[in-house]
Amino acid sequence: MLVAPVGWLARLFDPPLRALQRVGGYGGMAVFFLAPNMLVFGIFVLFPLVLNLVYSTTGGAALFLGDRSFVGLAQYERLFDCSNYLDPKSCAEDLFWTAVWNTAGFVVVQVVLMVVVALVTALVLNRELKARSFWRAVFFFPVLLSPVVVGLIWKWILQRQGLLNLGLYELGLTQVNWLIERGWAFTAAVGVSIWAHVGFYALILLAGLQAIPKDLYEAAEMDGTRPARMFWRITLPLLMPNLIVVLVLVLIRSVQIFDEVYVLTGGGPGTATLYLTQYIYEIGFASHLRNPGLASAASILMGGVLVVLTLLQLGIGRRNEARGKK
Amino acid sequence: MSRITLTDLSRSYGPVEVLKHIDLDIRDGELIVFVGPSGCGKSTLLRQIAGLDRPTSGKIEIDGRDVTRVPAADRGLAMVFQSYALYPHMSVRQNLAFGLENARMAKDEIEKRIQEAARMLEISAYLDRRPGQLSGGQRQRVAIGRAIVRNPTAFLLDEPLSNLDAELRISTRAELAALHKRLGTTMVYVTHDQIEAMTLAHRIVVLRAGRIEQVGTPLELYNKPANRFVAGFIGAPRMNFLPASMFPGSAAAEIGIRPQHLRRATPGETGLKTTVVMIEALGSETVIHAENGGQRVLAVLPGQQQLSPGDEIALAYDAKDLHPFDKDGLRLP
Repeated sequence: MLVAPVGWLARLFDPPLRALQRVGGYGGMAVFFLAPNMLVFGIFVLFPLVLNLVYSTTGGAALFLGDRSFVGLAQYERLFDCSNYLDPKSCAEDLFWTAVWNTAGFVVVQVVLMVVVALVTALVLNRELKARSFWRAVFFFPVLLSPVVVGLIWKWILQRQGLLNLGLYELGLTQVNWLIERGWAFTAAVGVSIWAHVGFYALILLAGLQAIPKDLYEAAEMDGTRPARMFWRITLPLLMPNLIVVLVLVLIRSVQIFDEVYVLTGGGPGTATLYLTQYIYEIGFASHLRNPGLASAASILMGGVLVVLTLLQLGIGRRNEARGKK
Repeated sequence: MSRITLTDLSRSYGPVEVLKHIDLDIRDGELIVFVGPSGCGKSTLLRQIAGLDRPTSGKIEIDGRDVTRVPAADRGLAMVFQSYALYPHMSVRQNLAFGLENARMAKDEIEKRIQEAARMLEISAYLDRRPGQLSGGQRQRVAIGRAIVRNPTAFLLDEPLSNLDAELRISTRAELAALHKRLGTTMVYVTHDQIEAMTLAHRIVVLRAGRIEQVGTPLELYNKPANRFVAGFIGAPRMNFLPASMFPGSAAAEIGIRPQHLRRATPGETGLKTTVVMIEALGSETVIHAENGGQRVLAVLPGQQQLSPGDEIALAYDAKDLHPFDKDGLRLP
């Protein structure tokens, strides 16, 4: 019943499509059909990327490109103008290097803790638990929340007169300035980020654990394998492809860290939790010393790091795929 | 030396009773085969013996020692899995060594055992390859090798040939029989393939819905099936079950007769009058699908038969080849 009108409607397009094929040929038709997507991609991805590159070669605080002067690689030179890279104070753009080292510290701690917590969570959720689906949902739920919501929830809990301090007060314990003391603010940034995303990574690892055939564990049991050896010799090697994917994804996400930490600490106390993306945002848009060229240069450098990490992930993905086909 | 005794063994998963009061004595050195249709409990029974699952009630003894609650690794058994269950990230050598390393055996002894097993199974050339680089047959040998190196008191084999192609299955079956003869170790073998059971077993245990239907040598089961189920399960093509009214003078409710025991009646000889429905010409023999008053009758006749669908033929039999069953399906004397 439906086929006839649909066919009639489709045939209406035949004449213009035939005309297009006559002009562009068979291969040209593919270009025609791809054009809308390429247009969207060009406007919203490619053009801003090129524009960013151009901005990084200009100076001044003006926003419009026509009002900006060409400075060549001066912005990059400013970013790398340092007598000692390990000491941000010795750098012309000290906030950039503070953000770089803060981000590096955050990435190291975050990656190690996230992978370990995700692995432990996946191992626990893979066991025969009561209400296993409920617990899986509990761990995955924060992943569904917007990072801003995550930041606001934890700010409400951790601020000076927040829920946690209220609880400590009620218990007669000493209250802690969770978001004001440097160490605690860093711990909060790492902890909140783990809470928000661990469910996603645990899910990837859980899928990997469930893909390990049960027979292998039974064979290992017949072989008299103790639980610890079972983990190190059977589970971990077979989970390695998933573990590496998680590792690289966490690495990429940690370098990009911004929203929940920005809402939670605003980069403070001082610059204790100022990370690279926040630096770029503030220098480009929010700071009174606005310098879009410098922000663009910093974002190009950060983009370079992310491209390397993404290529690493793609390489690992292909290697796993090739190994799976063997 | 290994004699395995199961006494009143039952296993339930919630309300579902998978094994029901199993009593079985597996003799030392014998190759016993558990056979039955899917879901009959044969693999579950093997897993109880292996220690990979615990019975709800009953007792398992190995050489007189109660092992019902003993962990799998401490029962002295080795198992060959249907999927082979080789560790994919380890080489063949590491697969064979893994269990021995767990037992903290000396490296020299481990290497000696690996070399012996590899020579016996002709896998020496593959020792440094990973399972993913081996064919199905080679993997199967490695799985057996992993069991052999442990020098177990008994081997448990869970449908070890089911992943092999038909040709390889036949040759591996013969190799397994030879291996059993050579090692002389008790083997408990699970299969759903009754031909595999008939060709390999010293004794066959036929299971249905968690119960043992009959235990006996392959020919005992073929010649004297205890009930209608065993009679239908053992032998290919399946036994014909016909109303006793078709056989004058029979007091049984039903008569079973194997297709191979029917022949074309000679002139003057009485037999079942049937109409040919379909013919399967296999060259060396011909399988006739015939009908008598709505009853399907299958006959395997020797050589090549000049018959067509619709032809009337009389199928004769010897009285000694008839298997009488009562209304409950039990064999009558």
